[in-house]
Amino acid sequence: MSCSPFDLRDYFFGELAEEDRQQVDLHSRSCLTCREELNRLRSTQAALLAVADEEIPQRIGFVSDRVYEPSRLLRWWRGFWGSAPRLGFASAAMLSVAIIVAAVHRPAVVIPTAPAASVDVAKLQADFSRQLNEAVQKAVAESDARHEQLLAAAARRFDSERRADIERVSQNFAILDKYVRRDMRAAIQEAR
Amino acid sequence: MIFRAVEDADLIQKARQGDVEGFNLLISRWEKRVFNYLLRILRNREDALDLSQDVFLKAHQNLRKLEDNTRFAAWLFRIAHNEAYSLLRKRRPETEPETEERSEQAITMGGSAVFPIELSIAVSSALGRLTAEQREAVVLKIYQGFKFEEMAEILSCPVSTVKSRLYAALELLKADLSPLKVRGAV
Repeated sequence: MSCSPFDLRDYFFGELAEEDRQQVDLHSRSCLTCREELNRLRSTQAALLAVADEEIPQRIGFVSDRVYEPSRLLRWWRGFWGSAPRLGFASAAMLSVAIIVAAVHRPAVVIPTAPAASVDVAKLQADFSRQLNEAVQKAVAESDARHEQLLAAAARRFDSERRADIERVSQNFAILDKYVRRDMRAAIQEAR
Repeated sequence: MIFRAVEDADLIQKARQGDVEGFNLLISRWEKRVFNYLLRILRNREDALDLSQDVFLKAHQNLRKLEDNTRFAAWLFRIAHNEAYSLLRKRRPETEPETEERSEQAITMGGSAVFPIELSIAVSSALGRLTAEQREAVVLKIYQGFKFEEMAEILSCPVSTVKSRLYAALELLKADLSPLKVRGAV
């Protein structure tokens, strides 16, 4: 059991904070037991490290085949997409450029003034009224013409019917006169 | 180590973009460490080499999932740990990865200095008597130099568990190895 203020093994492996390490340093200078324990740890570590690492019998390596290796452009593109912050920054930059270009090259918008707008409206209203009046007049004229035609046709039909009636009445009167004259002559002859 | 981490991060970024040579360079930096980690866990060179290749293949396939490039080492060794234990489970489906009984016969050299080959055998024998979990803790700390937090990440367990395994292993190793002195080395 160590009498050190901190675990000697943590101290030995360099896992203590600087302040704690200094305390163990001071303690171990005056404590034979702890010095011996540290020496045992050093000897054990030295014995373990005396067996050095072996060289790897066969080097490991990936084949750098140009056929399968992505092109520089593709590598750049993968790297670009693989980096979220870079992609975000690039997107923001592109958006900013697009906004600036659009602002510079955008054609000026002509905003119509209020008087011009009123003149146009008045003109439109006048045109509309004129067209409406013309249409109404045209429709009335056409209607009047149709009525004139109908009246003329009716007058002609009435006239012809009146003439036919007069003709029939005349004929009837002629027949009646003929019969009356005949009866009168017969009566006169009888009277005689 | 900071520069190394920065350079690794650059290589990881290149590899993510499909640069095979960048990933090959990353492999060349880490293959020896991964191979020796697997070798000490599996204690078989062919398995260690095969799994090393699998580890880097999986690392390449999943590189996009690595959130923090500076934690590449712990992430890579986590893959290696999973691969090793997957293989051990296949080999010994009904038992824990390592059930080697601790021999009562300790390595004793009588306090005299030993040759490196003898020390190598003694170390190998002492490590072999540890459980797989204890041995892995020793390998990650002593040989690979990971911090406790990184070890916890690799082994997917709390730091307290990592320390418990490591310190239990050290008690056993101290008994076996601290009396040894290698000629001209220790």
